[in-house]
Amino acid sequence: MSGCRRFEEATRRDDPGAWGALVAHGSECADCREELAAWEAISHAAPGLKKSWDSPQLWPRIEAAFAAQPAEAAGSAFPARRRFAWIPLAVAAALFVVAMIGLQVFRPSFGERELLTSRSLPKNPLLTEGTLTEVEKSEEAYVASIDRLSRLAEPRLSQSDSPLFVSYREKITLLDSAIGDLRAQVEQNRYNTHLRRELLAVYREKQHTLEQVVREAKS
Amino acid sequence: MKVGPVSENRLVFVGSAKGETLEGEIRSPREDSDETALRERCRAGDVSAFEQLYQTHGARMKSLAANLLGSRSDAEDAVQETFLKIYRGASSFRGAARLSTWTYRILVNTCLDLRRRKGRAPDTAAPAESGEPESKLRTPAADHPLRLDLEASVASLEEKHRAVFLLFEVEGFTHREIAEILGVPEGTSRGLLFESKRELQRLLRRRGIAGEARA
Repeated sequence: MSGCRRFEEATRRDDPGAWGALVAHGSECADCREELAAWEAISHAAPGLKKSWDSPQLWPRIEAAFAAQPAEAAGSAFPARRRFAWIPLAVAAALFVVAMIGLQVFRPSFGERELLTSRSLPKNPLLTEGTLTEVEKSEEAYVASIDRLSRLAEPRLSQSDSPLFVSYREKITLLDSAIGDLRAQVEQNRYNTHLRRELLAVYREKQHTLEQVVREAKS
Repeated sequence: MKVGPVSENRLVFVGSAKGETLEGEIRSPREDSDETALRERCRAGDVSAFEQLYQTHGARMKSLAANLLGSRSDAEDAVQETFLKIYRGASSFRGAARLSTWTYRILVNTCLDLRRRKGRAPDTAAPAESGEPESKLRTPAADHPLRLDLEASVASLEEKHRAVFLLFEVEGFTHREIAEILGVPEGTSRGLLFESKRELQRLLRRRGIAGEARA
């Protein structure tokens, strides 16, 4: 590694100007010149890792797999399960009610700040600085809780091929996708109440889903 | 500053010595409307739309999956599983991200899931399988002296570092696209790329090829 701090500073900064300055600096600093050369060598070799091969059977395989899906699979999310969709929803609603009652009963013992929910956000389309801090703390708390639950749920989720756990995996994939979308949007517009509300709702849904997985894994 | 093709379907400005893309990803209104039309057809369950998506992105998806999984047959399985997930979940696609970005996100998650299920690190050289000779695996710049060592070193990076390195340096995605694919801020993508290259330098030195790395 270069003994010169300018190399790390320039490579970490999102500023092509800083990089240009580093290149100029490299003409005087042997350490940085070496680092730059090594850095560039990796970038030049990297495209060589691209893989390319013919797979004439792959698309037909995918098409056959589509055909094996329930007729109305595409165009409606998991419709084959729709007939029974009320069962997990009813269970989820019941658990939610129980959890809320539990939260109300035990809340004083937590002695901590209550997590913001999507509904408790202000109606104003833009958040104030203070509320934004609160919302971000709540999001962090959700993320921490989700990380904890993910660690508990992971072994069962990744090992089980039962339809229930496959369904949970797919649901979590879709929720992750939604979280990614929303986070990318929030990154562009941190003060947007609507986006924050949606993000909190999806976080809560993922947390809830992981709780269900953990519960199923125990039973 | 030069303008060059980095990904298959779009031009990006390449302006820094790092070769990183700057702000200006050029995406024409025509491309946006094509993407929207394709997305709507996918949502409606039109199989030909999925085939178009496969024709456009299949090769790149296989390459990314092969590098994440270290095996060509696993890569094909991952691409198939990704398309099935998209097919099943197309109607729930929210449309905030691009369909292609969403597709790669599901692919990356599917690959990581497959790896966890198999409980192993990727094989380093992505050997040819099912009887086909290695020579059929075409790799541009395959004769680069660092390639094999780099491949082995990339395989030992942590998940997110490996994904960011492969997406940016090998597959030519922008940090904005990587941020959408991995669900992280753009700054995090840049930070992960920096850390992955620093770790690669360290691993390459350990392999005793620091000299070539600087060639």
